[in-house]
Amino acid sequence: MSELLVEMKGIVKNFGKVQALKGVDFSVGREEVVGLLGDNGAGKSTLIKILVGYYQPDEGEIYFEGKRVVFKSPWDSRRLGIETVYQDLALVNLMPVWRNFFLGRELKKKVAGIELLDVRKMKRLSMDYLKTVGIELRSPNETVAFLSGGERQAVAIARALYFGAKLLILDEPTAALSVGETRRVLELILETKRRGTSVVFITHNIYHVYEVADRLVILEKGEKIGDYRKDEVTPEEVMDIIASAAGVSRK
Amino acid sequence: MKEAGAIIGIAVFFVLFSFLSDRFLSLDNLTSTFTMAAELGIITVGMTVLMISGEFDLSVGSIFAVVPMIVAIMINHGVNDFLALLTGLVVGVGTGFLNGLITIKTEIPSFITTLGTMMFWRGILLAVTGGFPIILERNSVVLKYLGGEIAGGFRYSGLWFIVATVLFWILLERTAYGNWVFAVGGNVGAARALGIPVERVKITNFILSSFLAGIAGLTTFGRFKIVDPTLGTGMELEAIAASVIGGTLLSGGYGSIFGAFIGALMIGMVRSGLVLAGAPAYWYRAFIGVILVVAAVINARIRRKVAG
Repeated sequence: MSELLVEMKGIVKNFGKVQALKGVDFSVGREEVVGLLGDNGAGKSTLIKILVGYYQPDEGEIYFEGKRVVFKSPWDSRRLGIETVYQDLALVNLMPVWRNFFLGRELKKKVAGIELLDVRKMKRLSMDYLKTVGIELRSPNETVAFLSGGERQAVAIARALYFGAKLLILDEPTAALSVGETRRVLELILETKRRGTSVVFITHNIYHVYEVADRLVILEKGEKIGDYRKDEVTPEEVMDIIASAAGVSRK
Repeated sequence: MKEAGAIIGIAVFFVLFSFLSDRFLSLDNLTSTFTMAAELGIITVGMTVLMISGEFDLSVGSIFAVVPMIVAIMINHGVNDFLALLTGLVVGVGTGFLNGLITIKTEIPSFITTLGTMMFWRGILLAVTGGFPIILERNSVVLKYLGGEIAGGFRYSGLWFIVATVLFWILLERTAYGNWVFAVGGNVGAARALGIPVERVKITNFILSSFLAGIAGLTTFGRFKIVDPTLGTGMELEAIAASVIGGTLLSGGYGSIFGAFIGALMIGMVRSGLVLAGAPAYWYRAFIGVILVVAAVINARIRRKVAG
């Protein structure tokens, strides 16, 4: 068994004449939380979209649990246990929690030869599981629109865990959250790690990720400009690296 | 509850019309009201599923005439009833598939696609018939089971309306497919990210909508034994109105089949109720217009309470 869960080697991606990624190496260990930092347009989301199979790299290789993989679509990566929680694309606001929780992976039972939803089971299991990871909701019938931003992130993360994610990718999970809610999401990320799932945490906010990350990777203009264990750097140093790479010096 | 507004509304009209006319509660009127509601309602059920997935079908009024027209012409030319019916329904499926395919592949709004096909099919109808109605020249058992009378004025169309409502309620509320329909209309990006076949869901719903419009047209044909090339004109808007009255959102992601049932019933009831109350028939459309707007306002409030 390989030590690394994911290894991306020499990833190059061009969009027309724009080189979005210029040979990036990126890895995630087992039960590791990796913070992926960088300015807008640094290539963070392109790298992740290649990892999950949304884009295909022009050059480079991806290894998952030591084996070479080629993901043609996000379906392929999901089957192996890579789950992504996107900021706005995680849940359907007009639908109740239980429907969201099992969306695309509905539980069914046969009634007179027809496959119908096992509504009661889905409601029970979703609530039970949310409770075990520390999320108390009023009712499984509650529409997602009524949940707070933090609760929504939590439901999306819990859903990924429930379906056995080995790697959880979080896209700006703490953006637009209050301080208290950010705390809950960060705790849930630590809980995720305790359950043996690795996390890639994409963010602008070094302070949020610094608390929970084991390692910090910094991208800038399609290149990796930093890869540190947390004990090697302070948040201020990371800020300086990002700022100076972007051509802004900080006092 | 999504349908609360529609249920209260229909109860109010029911009581109101009962007071305004003695004949409103007669069996005769109730069954004929239900027949009218059913012919509109079968379309509404399909339209509602399609609208929940975030698309429209303005061509249902034309398909409502195209399918029975094909069946009528074929039967009049001596073709076997079942074969004629089958051909009509295949055309109904095909027109829906075409709507879906154009909309998905070209990424133009379905409002435009189906406005185009609505005009196209209506034009074909008028061109083929020269504007004259086609009268069925012999009796057809098949048509009896679509629009004929069962007993006491209650027709098969009413039965099919109930069957369609129950089946589509199950489809929407109790199957994985229904879950996908709501997701596709509610947040297409999330649906796609979760691996739901968005295009396939939408095209399927276009087919369902068109197919049900064809069935609805056949029930009307079964009642009158005649197809006018202008049959069903404006019915697409009545079906959308019935959907909205029943609580379905124009923007997708939210709606109810039971609401669609109530919405269609309300429109049928208002139509017969106004006539019985002595209002000139012309008032009917104006009245429906008012109801539509009031219903949309009430439903928007209900939705904010139950779904944010």
